Amino acid sequence: MLAALLIILPLLGGLLVLIAPPQRAKHVTLAVSSVVFVYSVVLAFIFGPHWGTDEFALTGAVTWLDGIGITISLGADSVSLLLVLLTTLLMPLCIWGSFTAITDRLREYYGWMMLLQAAMTGVFLARDLIFFYICFEFTLVPMYFLIALYGGSNRARACVKFFIYTFTGSMITLAGLLYIAWRYAEIAGFWSFDIAQLTSFAVDGLNNYPGLSQYEQAWILLALMAGFAVKVPLFPLHTWLPLAHTEAPTAGSVILAAVLLKLGTYGLYRFVLPMVPLAVVEYAPLIAVIAIIGVLYAALICWVQRDVKKLIAYSSVSHLGFCVLGLFALNPLGVQGSVMYMLNHGLSTGALFFLVGMIYERYHTRDMTQMSGLARRMPVWAFFMVFFVLSSVGLPGLNGFISEFLCLIGAFTASGDAGAYPGVLGPWYAAIAALGMVVAAMYLLIMVGKVVFGPLKEPAVHHSTGEQSHLPADLTLREIGVLVPLAVLCVYIGFQPRTFTGAMEGSIEGVLAEYPATVRQQQILQQADLPHFDNAGLVLTMPESTDIGEVNHDG
Amino acid sequence: MIPALHNLQFLQPKLLPLAMVDHHHADPVAFPIAHAIEAMSWAGWILWLPMISLVLCGACAALRIRNKLPAIITVLSLAGSFFVTLLLYLNYHEPVTIHLFEWFNIAVGDGNSFVAAFSLYVDKLTLLWMLFVTGLSCLIALYASEYMEADLKSGYARFFAGVSVFVFAMSSLVMGDNLLMLYLGWEGVGFASYWLIGYYYQKPSAVAAAKKAFIVNRIGDLGLALGLYLTWHHFGTIQYTEIFAAIQHGVDAEHGETGGWYIKYIPFMLMLGAFGKSAQLPLYVWLPDAMEGPTPVSALIHAATMVTAGVYLLCRMYPLLEALHPLALPTVAWIGGLTALLAATIGMAQFDIKRIMAYSTVSQLGYMFLGVGVMTTYGGAYHVFTHAFFKAVLFLTCGAIMHGFAGQLDLRKVSGLTKMPGWRIVSWTMFYACLCLVGFPYISSGFYSKDMIMAQAFISHGPGFTALGVIALVTALMTAYYTFRVWFRVCLGPVQYEMGDEHHGDDEHGDDHHGHDKPHAPRWAINTTLLIITLGAIASIVLYYTHWGQDMVAGSSAGGGVPSAHHGETHGFWDDPHTWMPWVASITTVVGIIIAWFFHLAKREAADQLKAILLANPIIRWLPTAMENKWYVDELYHAVIRAPLWIGGHILYWLDMNLLDFAIVDGIAHLPRWLGRAFRPLHNGILQSYAVSMAGGIGLVALLVLFMPRILQWLGGGG
Repeated sequence: MLAALLIILPLLGGLLVLIAPPQRAKHVTLAVSSVVFVYSVVLAFIFGPHWGTDEFALTGAVTWLDGIGITISLGADSVSLLLVLLTTLLMPLCIWGSFTAITDRLREYYGWMMLLQAAMTGVFLARDLIFFYICFEFTLVPMYFLIALYGGSNRARACVKFFIYTFTGSMITLAGLLYIAWRYAEIAGFWSFDIAQLTSFAVDGLNNYPGLSQYEQAWILLALMAGFAVKVPLFPLHTWLPLAHTEAPTAGSVILAAVLLKLGTYGLYRFVLPMVPLAVVEYAPLIAVIAIIGVLYAALICWVQRDVKKLIAYSSVSHLGFCVLGLFALNPLGVQGSVMYMLNHGLSTGALFFLVGMIYERYHTRDMTQMSGLARRMPVWAFFMVFFVLSSVGLPGLNGFISEFLCLIGAFTASGDAGAYPGVLGPWYAAIAALGMVVAAMYLLIMVGKVVFGPLKEPAVHHSTGEQSHLPADLTLREIGVLVPLAVLCVYIGFQPRTFTGAMEGSIEGVLAEYPATVRQQQILQQADLPHFDNAGLVLTMPESTDIGEVNHDG
Repeated sequence: MIPALHNLQFLQPKLLPLAMVDHHHADPVAFPIAHAIEAMSWAGWILWLPMISLVLCGACAALRIRNKLPAIITVLSLAGSFFVTLLLYLNYHEPVTIHLFEWFNIAVGDGNSFVAAFSLYVDKLTLLWMLFVTGLSCLIALYASEYMEADLKSGYARFFAGVSVFVFAMSSLVMGDNLLMLYLGWEGVGFASYWLIGYYYQKPSAVAAAKKAFIVNRIGDLGLALGLYLTWHHFGTIQYTEIFAAIQHGVDAEHGETGGWYIKYIPFMLMLGAFGKSAQLPLYVWLPDAMEGPTPVSALIHAATMVTAGVYLLCRMYPLLEALHPLALPTVAWIGGLTALLAATIGMAQFDIKRIMAYSTVSQLGYMFLGVGVMTTYGGAYHVFTHAFFKAVLFLTCGAIMHGFAGQLDLRKVSGLTKMPGWRIVSWTMFYACLCLVGFPYISSGFYSKDMIMAQAFISHGPGFTALGVIALVTALMTAYYTFRVWFRVCLGPVQYEMGDEHHGDDEHGDDHHGHDKPHAPRWAINTTLLIITLGAIASIVLYYTHWGQDMVAGSSAGGGVPSAHHGETHGFWDDPHTWMPWVASITTVVGIIIAWFFHLAKREAADQLKAILLANPIIRWLPTAMENKWYVDELYHAVIRAPLWIGGHILYWLDMNLLDFAIVDGIAHLPRWLGRAFRPLHNGILQSYAVSMAGGIGLVALLVLFMPRILQWLGGGG
């Protein structure tokens, strides 16, 4: 049970905080989370030969409710492990970054952080549906309290909305997942919640049962999307996000953007793509259109924001639109780009939230109209701000470019003559989404132009307590220490993406394994005179008789 | 006949694909394609040296080093880059690719991979570009070491770090062996440009100009990115060697290997990128504003090197432009010709000498595009080469004036520079560069390169190419006028000046070592640089007569645009444009210079009178006004593009807050509570009431979803 320690250690850390003196809480959690990070790196080495394959390693299971087949079963493939590494890397940074920002209720704060880490890691490592779902939902509780206790002025509304909205969505997701398990129990005669088993059951069937019909798959897709799309968040289900981000404390925003949103895309990657391929192929264009609308819609909204934090929050909506677009390109390039996007967005947007938090700690405002030219006062901060903005804009040579480029080229090439993989999107999808690149440059550079550059204008400090910040004008060594690891990774990924893309190649091929077969099936369907678009997408060929229900249904 | 004309004789129309569009098949352009070699990875130092310089300059900034160390580091490493380039040139035998390290390599199924390595494609075109890029960068860094010295206390290291980034990016743009590495360099130089235009970051106009440059370039980059995707989609590779092989193998619009109608748009997408980077219509608007940057930056990035990247791209991809769409090259030609004309008209009516030079750059870039478009890549590339030198001199002399006169750039406020002590080198190098810019017969390099382009416009057959040739001649007249307007105003005439109001740099506590009342003449670094680059401009004439430039282009992917050396039979003077063009162009130029001499030296008040007359006439009053206001293009873009998007953003934000979030989401969230209230009032706090009522709703939805298939199946009678 090597992987289990990744969950148990933070839980123990949480207990340790409760008995430690409040002033020591931050040091205890920093130590624990650093140990967890080092341990996760060791695990990455132990994982060794499995990088680049689609195998799950570091597995282990404990029977929990034997009667209905629920176990606590853990395991990681390369994509899960990368996301775990992202989580374990960001956690100590978040804790270190909170040292001066959090001044009371210390034990609860750091305790919740530890619980949050355990839950997030659990999501990525779970190989059992019920355990996955429990962890998935449990992330809400610590986050709820982090916002409710340490958030901004409008935190009550923000945390309730955050909780209810995402909770509602994931209930529907649970229903969809349970449906598969229920069908499995019906066919197999016993309950199992093993994700691998259910996936293969959903696609390939069992005991003469040919797998879920396209019709069932469509409903399951809808149910799964309900939860994951809220979490991502996909337009138009995103409205909880700007509010939650703006009101959350800095570390909360960082985790929210860097990891919690990735639970949604990870869910899409782990469950939606492999479990319901027929429905995905059918509805991918629709989802891609929604994602593209989100990209442009949120980008335009970013443009008119005055609150820097809200701007970055909306930019997350825009960026994750690219991520979803890449995922539903359903070809290796797009999905590679999408998974890279999960990591890169975590690094650069996480860092941007840190940077905004550093300003907020000094001036107690995030209003762009109240400040300008801060580069003069805080050159080091300005350097990092511009750096991470460029990473977010997708400047080649930094990480953001790799993922954005792959997502777009994936969507672009997913057209009719795409070969083995289903060509459900096409050039127009990518071309229109790529406009988001231009608008992203606009809103982020306008923000930089206002806040970082220009004549110096510092906001008058008017905190409710009237306290002047005790921090020095420019960043402290601690704050630089928080940012440097992220910056180094950004440059490294920009020039050596191969380390990561190579590592997850196998896992992605595994997730997409069903799709070439789906293509063949579709070709057969097309030959069976179903309506289809020809290669150029110009002529709709209508058949004499259309009966989708007949095809691929066991009856 | 004079000898030079004889030398021009070899330029003769070649049977070009456009002449035979009806054949559908462009002849495969024969040029040697590079092959990969293991050796010579030392060529990578051309890229690594600026990178090292960047890191060291960054370290200087972090360590608060306040001396000229960053400049020394940068000049030395750029000199190193230049010498490595020179070595590469001396060791050059045939086109090769040199692998440095792996970058992208992603399996895409079917056993194919998306590969883009950090590899260098070295052919003569690469070397031509790299020689002047590294050489001029090094010299301009030397110039900047003196020019920027007032900023030693603030941004000195930051400036040189930016220059290093630029050279790194430009080198990967030019040397990359695939479109993605070109794209890296492409955005990289855009970023370096952003960094350096916004160098005086406390000046709102500089920040705005930097932002504008980056964003407008991004629009072009979008085109380049789409071109790249299309190329990948249709050729299954983005490496030049494989693309060229496919083209030579005969992939054209009708018989594409993978088919598809999109393939025709590859040239246009790439072109959009080129128009953005090289400031052509409709994306030229960022370049004049880019003059907010320090002058060495304007000279290096916004005149000599970066802005020629678009021409490089078109030369590199020339076989594609030729093969994939019959209208691709004419589009380039027309955009280039119109840009040249438009920019010249604006340049005539400006007073800021740096802005005039900026518009002249846009205009000359237009000539280069015109050259590529009328199928003389040699003319285009050679004009890039000559222009790099003389335009660098022009900007650097403008910079010296600005430096010496505390930021004064208005040509009405400085006069008689030749007669001031210490300004002789500046004014006479400027004079020679002006001659080059206008294409003064025989003694200036611009004469040869520009003639080649203008003559070819009359030779090649294409839609309206003759009209383009006429436009180019009219533009040449305007060029002669506005260029010498500057020189006659600033360098000749009575000695009088008015100091500007600017300290160097942005530090209000900076101790400017000269007062505000007296100009100070440039010292050795500036003067030496000016002399060396002027010598380079003179030397590029020699390169013409030795056919060096032609040779450099002929062996590369742009070889299709080098006219063959055989001369057809000519009957009279007017039969061969190469015979009459030197005469016509020379006369045009001299007329332009004479007009400038009359209005701006002999009788300066006549210029004001003329303007007063024009403004007094209500019918033509708009003309000078519109020219001075740059034809209101910025205002137009603002009204048509930026304003609607901005208003759209506000509307969407309002809808997001009020319709989507408040009305729909909160409305639905409250629905169960209202329903619940109807049955049984809930009084136990907000969260719980939400949770309980929502859970009820969710349960219903979940049940519905769970049993929906069953219900529907039942409804559908088990079908």
